Parts: sequence; structure tokens; C-alpha cells
Amino acid sequence: MSIINYASREIQFKIVYYGPALCGKTTNLGYIHQRISPQNRGDLVSLATAADRTLFFDFLPLNAVVIKGFVTKFQLYTVPGQVIYNATRQLVLRSVDGVVFVADSQWEKMEENVESFKNLEDNLAKQNISLDEIPYVIQYNKRDLENVAPVNYLEYVLNNRKRRVQSFEVVSSTGQNVFASLNAVSQILLHKFSKQSDAPKTPPAPVAIPLDAAIPQTQGAAR
Amino acid sequence: MNAIPCLTIEDVASLDGILAEFLKKAEAELTVVIDRGGNVISQYGDMTVMDVTIIAALAAGSFAATKELARRIGEVEFNALYHQGNGSHIFMNSVDDDTIMITVFGRRTTVGLVRFYSTSTAQSVGTLLQSLSREGHGFSFDASDVSATPIFADA
Repeated sequence: MSIINYASREIQFKIVYYGPALCGKTTNLGYIHQRISPQNRGDLVSLATAADRTLFFDFLPLNAVVIKGFVTKFQLYTVPGQVIYNATRQLVLRSVDGVVFVADSQWEKMEENVESFKNLEDNLAKQNISLDEIPYVIQYNKRDLENVAPVNYLEYVLNNRKRRVQSFEVVSSTGQNVFASLNAVSQILLHKFSKQSDAPKTPPAPVAIPLDAAIPQTQGAAR
Repeated sequence: MNAIPCLTIEDVASLDGILAEFLKKAEAELTVVIDRGGNVISQYGDMTVMDVTIIAALAAGSFAATKELARRIGEVEFNALYHQGNGSHIFMNSVDDDTIMITVFGRRTTVGLVRFYSTSTAQSVGTLLQSLSREGHGFSFDASDVSATPIFADA
């Protein structure tokens, strides 16, 4: 968690996109970078191999005015999904404020999804952070493919903890629900630090937000 | 309620004073104090030439990545890193377990001068940040201050 600079009236939050290899984390950031106005974002920095696989992380800084009187900077990171890069994932998770877990909806990726989710939980625990406390949402990505598991099955496998979280059916390559999930985690994050955060929270939707029910996004601060 | 650690205007003025003196003595262009997660705590100098947010994220990554390299030769971490360019260079040194100081400098000075003054500056910054954490400044806001509309929109 960052320190607020009261002189420049800036608050920074770090959001990490986590998930198994080739699940679409970098594609999420690429889409956001492509669609947000340049005045509200910085460059997308990718530390990738020659084959475009994430080696260290991808990084995209976004600016928004969402808290009265403050510029809020959201720093989006991805982790390398490949199993061997666990030390790197731990480094990227340092000082994390919120997480978007990107699951690959294809049947054959289910084991990797579960492993990656467990790995996220373990790596957070090493920083004394519990998944029950940190703001996070789940994306069920690649819903446009044919061999995908049904959403209720994915919910059972990945969103079956005591605290169920918001989840989204996503096609990151076309951007469907990419912004909806980013907005959701950002709002949860902001309310965590607000003075009324002890108030009862609205329970999450019983099923994942479907592709055709994306939240209207016509009045956002950053366009 | 979770309060966010906060630098007050007075704290920032103290920190800026330390960093300004360092830049003057070392004749460097820019100095940035960041946490090890890549968040900018404070910055001073000519910020028009580069995106400080990106510099901070990459520097934190660079520092963290070389920690493992240091372990291989029996060190806990490298206290300082130097990246040499043709005209612009970056010097990074550890402030404490949570904080790093980055200095960008050019042809007007030398790495020796930057290294010399950055050591005492890092100590001063570390002492100041420690006193802030003891004083326990914290900031939180009302839920009504948070915009209800979607924060980011698909253009």
C-alpha cells in the first residue's frame, strides 16, 4: 500500500492481474491501454520475451479523479503466468492493493486455474495478506471459445470460498467485460479505505456477470 | 476502516528540503523516493523529461530482481545499483527495508559524487520516514466522496 502525498494530492493503488499462463492477463492491459484516452494513462510497459511471453511484468499507469480533491493513480501490473516464475510473481505482488484473477475458461485449463489460484493465496500469505481481506474479482476469460466450462462450474471451482466475490464472463481479446471487472475491483478498493467501510456490503451477484450485461460505461471520469 | 499512510504538506516540505539539497550538491537532474512495491513516495527535480511512475515501477523491479543475484554471492542484497548510459545514468540505493531512492543524472556530474551524497541523503530520508510511521499519520475519506459512476470507460 502506498503513502498519500498530501502536497500533490495524489493517492496510488496497485492492482495486479494474476492467473495461469496464457490466460489473457496481458491482453486485458493491452485492451485497456488501447481504449483509454492517452491523457488518462501512461505507456504500457511490457517486460516480455521475444515470443511475447511475460518475463517479469506488464505495467500500465492510469489516472482518474474518483475521490473529491485527489488524483487517484491506479497502477496495473500483470504477473508472468508460467509456473517457473513464482519468485517474480512474489515480487510483483509486493504492496498490492487489489487483484483481478484471470481464469481461462477452457476445460483443459481447469487444473492450471486451480493451481494458480492456490499459488495466489500462498504468495499473498507470504506477505501476511489473506484472500479474505484483499479486494479481488474473478474473470472467466475466453468465453468466445467453444470448449469452455459452464460458468456455474467455474464458480464452484474458483469462487466457492466463504466470501464470494464478483465475477465476470470476459472476452479480453474483444474487451467484453474488461472494463467492468476493472471498475469493480477499483470500487471495492476505494470503499475499503472509506470511512463507512464497516457498513454491511451488498452481497456479490450469485452468478458471474454475463457478457451481455456489461455495466454501462458512459459517464466515467476517464474516457 | 483502513487508513492510508499519509505524508502531510509539512512532511513533504521536509522531504523536499532533503532531496533539494542532495540534488544541488550532487548536481543530479532528478531524485525519486519509492517504496519497494514501485509506488512513488516523493520526487524532486526535473520531471518533465520522463514518466516518473514508470521509472519507479521498473526501478523497484530491477532492485528486487538483483536481490537474488546478491544472494548467490553471499550478500543479503546490493545496497546500490548503477545503470550507465551514454549521456544519462541512473543510480539507485536502498533507504531501508521498504524504501529505495533513485537518482537520474547526466554529464554535469559523476557517479562518485552522486554515490557519495546519496548515502547521507538516504539516511536522512530513512530517519524522516521512520518518524512519520511512529507518528501514525493516516488518511481516509467518506464513502460519499467516491464517485459512483464507473471509474474507467471504454472509449
